[in-house]
Amino acid sequence: MREDVAPFVTYRAEVRREWLDYNEHMHDASYGIALSDANEAVFAALDLSADYRAETGAAYYTVQSHIRFLAECRLGHVLTARTIMVSADPKRIRLYTELQRDDEQTVATGEFLYLHVDTTRGRAAPLDEERYARVQRLVAAHGSLPRPDHLGLGIGPEYPGTGDA
Amino acid sequence: MTDRAVTPPASPSSESPDDGTPADAPLRLHQSLVLPQWVDYNGHMTESCYLLVFGDNADAFFRFLGVDDAYRDAGHSLYTVETHLHHRREVGEGEPLALSLQLLDHDHKRLHIFHEMRHGRTGDLVATAEQMLVHVDMLRGRSTELPTHLVERLDLIRASHVRLPRPDVVGRPMAIRHTHDTA
Repeated sequence: MREDVAPFVTYRAEVRREWLDYNEHMHDASYGIALSDANEAVFAALDLSADYRAETGAAYYTVQSHIRFLAECRLGHVLTARTIMVSADPKRIRLYTELQRDDEQTVATGEFLYLHVDTTRGRAAPLDEERYARVQRLVAAHGSLPRPDHLGLGIGPEYPGTGDA
Repeated sequence: MTDRAVTPPASPSSESPDDGTPADAPLRLHQSLVLPQWVDYNGHMTESCYLLVFGDNADAFFRFLGVDDAYRDAGHSLYTVETHLHHRREVGEGEPLALSLQLLDHDHKRLHIFHEMRHGRTGDLVATAEQMLVHVDMLRGRSTELPTHLVERLDLIRASHVRLPRPDVVGRPMAIRHTHDTA
């Protein structure tokens, strides 16, 4: 790994009261909020967020998300995210994001597949060349980062990630 | 989102009968309208709210099983360890959602379940969720065996659900497939 290559890190948020469930633990959906906000920061850095949609009428839609819930979070925990741009083609982007607590415990991982949609026509469309080149540069930069073993695995009883964790 | 991320049960707790009556296949235990606080500036339900609605459907299933407040107060619960969502179409504020749930598999401490979220009027598939759940001793913070009465209820449900077709997305890994790029 080159020393100047690191996952994308921008997101930082403190666990909020409205994120908790009846057990005073963070609700499943709140992990989803944190992960999608973290990914949104990556899209924003690539000029592919809300401004891009307003300007072009195109946007990235989530078609799949696969979240592994690894540890509980409580009020006051501070969460940070690290994202790897796993792969991309002109219409799709695949991200992998890890969410960590301030004690460095990884609390969740998420794999996401996004589709580039022309929202005015309601169908998938390729990204323009300039922005796609930017996406490809990030894919190439992240290519040397280690991939976790569970990346690209489905859910199943035989899958070791669901054992006595 | 400003509301507490938990929606109350839409209907009173309904436990499964223990008289051997076959369970509905799939189970249909939860419906909801898309609430105003669930939609983004485009008027579409946000990604995390799919998790919220599938979570409410799982909660309805837990109550059906007998995993309710009293069960949790006694120190055990079912925790989600993995969720895999497939988004099929958008939904907007006020649209009705109808959820179904299929028990794919279970063992002495794990449940593998599959949810479908359909549009309540058109029946269009909105999203699916595949989940792995683990029975947890909350005090000790670790997985533990399900009590016999819950395993027996799960056996009954599975006996009925085993004849449902296995959804084709179950267990499928996520990938960008480059060979048939005609979307």
